[in-house]
Amino acid sequence: MRRLVAVALVVGLLAPALPVHAQDTEAIRRDMEQMRKQFEAMQEQYRKTMETMADRLQRLESQGQQTTTTPVAAPPVTAQLPPPTPPGGSPPSPMDLIRPRQPFALYERRGPGQLLFDMGVTGDFIGNLTQSNVEKNQGGSFSGLENLFFPREVELSFFGQVDPYARAEVRIESGQGSRNDELTVSLAEANLTLMTLPFGTQLKMGRVRNRFGLLNELHSHDRPFIDDPNVLVQFFGRDGLRENGFEATWVPDLPFYLQVLGGVFNGENGVAFGRNTLRHPLATGRVRTFFDLGDFGAIQLGSSIANGDTPEQKSSTIIGFDMKYKYTPTGWQRALFTAYGEYLLSLRDVLVTDSDGIDQTRHRNRQGFYVGADVRPFAHGELSKWLLGFRYDWTQYPVNPGQEWAVGPFLAYYPSEFLRFRLGYKHTERTNCCSYLNFADNGGSARRVDEIFLQATFILGAHPTHPF
Amino acid sequence: MLRSPLLVLAAVAVCGLLDPSPTLAADKLRVVTSITDLKALTEAVGGDLVEVDALARSTQNAHDLEARPSLMIKVRRADALVLNGLDLDDWADVVAQGANNPNVIVGARGRIDASRGLLVLEVPRARIDRSMGDVHPAGNPHYTLDPGLAAQVTQNILEGLARIAPNNRAAFERNRQQFLAGLEEAMGRWNKLLEPYKGAPIVVNHNMWLYFLTRFGLVQAGSIEERPGIPPTPSHLVKLVNQMKQERIKVIVVEPWGDLKTVKRVAEEAGAQAAVLASSVGALKGTDTYINWVDSNVKMLAQALK
Repeated sequence: MRRLVAVALVVGLLAPALPVHAQDTEAIRRDMEQMRKQFEAMQEQYRKTMETMADRLQRLESQGQQTTTTPVAAPPVTAQLPPPTPPGGSPPSPMDLIRPRQPFALYERRGPGQLLFDMGVTGDFIGNLTQSNVEKNQGGSFSGLENLFFPREVELSFFGQVDPYARAEVRIESGQGSRNDELTVSLAEANLTLMTLPFGTQLKMGRVRNRFGLLNELHSHDRPFIDDPNVLVQFFGRDGLRENGFEATWVPDLPFYLQVLGGVFNGENGVAFGRNTLRHPLATGRVRTFFDLGDFGAIQLGSSIANGDTPEQKSSTIIGFDMKYKYTPTGWQRALFTAYGEYLLSLRDVLVTDSDGIDQTRHRNRQGFYVGADVRPFAHGELSKWLLGFRYDWTQYPVNPGQEWAVGPFLAYYPSEFLRFRLGYKHTERTNCCSYLNFADNGGSARRVDEIFLQATFILGAHPTHPF
Repeated sequence: MLRSPLLVLAAVAVCGLLDPSPTLAADKLRVVTSITDLKALTEAVGGDLVEVDALARSTQNAHDLEARPSLMIKVRRADALVLNGLDLDDWADVVAQGANNPNVIVGARGRIDASRGLLVLEVPRARIDRSMGDVHPAGNPHYTLDPGLAAQVTQNILEGLARIAPNNRAAFERNRQQFLAGLEEAMGRWNKLLEPYKGAPIVVNHNMWLYFLTRFGLVQAGSIEERPGIPPTPSHLVKLVNQMKQERIKVIVVEPWGDLKTVKRVAEEAGAQAAVLASSVGALKGTDTYINWVDSNVKMLAQALK
């Protein structure tokens, strides 16, 4: 184990140095020379432009004619354009038109005083209504927060390039965990990705949302559903799989897309693993591929695995298969139709005390899945802001006997790309309930649950584009 | 009996899959561009020395493309990535990251920003925020529509290509000069064709035609989209129709991916006509090269303005 950690550290430390060979001194010198030439050309261009304008002004003044002004375009053009041709003056030659115009407003991506990274804020607020017995038993989809309007996730994110070899991402989030709790602030993610490793590999290290399945790596506000699928909540808990460690990805040079991922983490997730030591780490793996289906359709298929130990030093393995399909015809900026699905299988040893008080190891094979779809029927106009979707859930409980299923339609309204409202309904039925499902055992029943959700989500500032 | 041939076939298939360059000549640079306009300009500079592919299709709105893994596979083996910049193709960053190709990540030699040194229009001088819609903080990014800027854009591409293939600089220079000579000749023609309409007001669907219109002395008098990226409100459309009637605006320019139904309705009510112009190289039939593309747009606009 120590050897593994030592090798990983050596690889991690040496890797950024590799591309230095690529940036040889000669290349930098050539770049500087080019920039010098460009600068001189620009100076020359300024000089010529000023001379031309002075000539034209002189001609206009001497002719005593009024200059015809080109009406100002709306919205306003802030940069200077070629001056209008004076009446009677010679029209510009084709070369005049081809030549770049006066650089009065040269664009600089990162000028002095500007931040060298991006930042953004997202807010995700949920309101939910359900039966009083469900609230009493804390058996709703947002356990402990039934019949409340609350901030689920307010996130401050910073992301950008650290240097030519690496980029970093830091996300700090706050949210309400239960009814009477104060808001808590936590480090949701903080990680570094080394981008320039050889052979199509990248290494990400730090605190991450693990790339396990479709939804785990997405933040709550980015997920296609208001609440999280039951199988993910049952198998990984409400916070999902978030771990400290590192993961490497490899994209082999193939004619189709294939991403292979392997990771080593502490195993902090208390629901599925929880051993929390690198001496017995959580190992993760994922394979993802993708195919375009004609001009408009596309499908992504993936398979994931996570293997670690529980605090009782028992083995726990979760295997997942996932699928996502999108159909985006010409004219649709967002997909007309999207379908999602994930299947999870939990293979776990648990410690059970029998009737004689003796601890025994039992093996549990449990499974669950969800399927969902959404449709945006209109490409343009006011109606294009609406989306209709649904999700069906079925899952067993990973340790205890019993299962649950749920179905929920929802309606989403996007006034813009940065603002979204969703209204949803969910009906859940459980075969067993509820104390051993980590719900409060206070006499209530949550076998049948009906919930209405309202969600409001906004994005302020920068927000990274999400992959397919 | 069957097992051996099957094994051989499987081995051949695997070797075929792993072959890093199954179709491409070894000395060609593999270049990927974010949009088809830049593909056409890169081909003009690179000639036979480059193999160019574009990420966005010509009929797509390039503002907010989905970072599909099929795009990542195009970038996976690229020697260079030519970007429009000015926040039009920020999604290409996600593609480059997912491709695990260090040649084209931010700061790499193979990363070519085609907007360097350009005169950018509509650079915000005052504070902007999203109440103005999906505004571009770095200015209007649709400069490829202006043939007058092609000289600078091709210069940027040339510098980028020469950075990774310095031995071919002279050939790139020759190609570029040849292209610019053809463009200069065409520019005279286009200028003549649109000369009678100088100063004519035009309404656009999306605010992406400003460079093109300004180059030929036409005036963008309004837009169907009240704010970029946000569908127009009925009151805005009513106001726009009144304005078009008052100012006798004859033409609404719309992209092939735009809301043609709304544009046609507004045009009809205002007594104008909708001109569907190719927003990118290849977006309409006969617009497969840069010069053909501008040529088609100029002719269609001149026809509509008659």
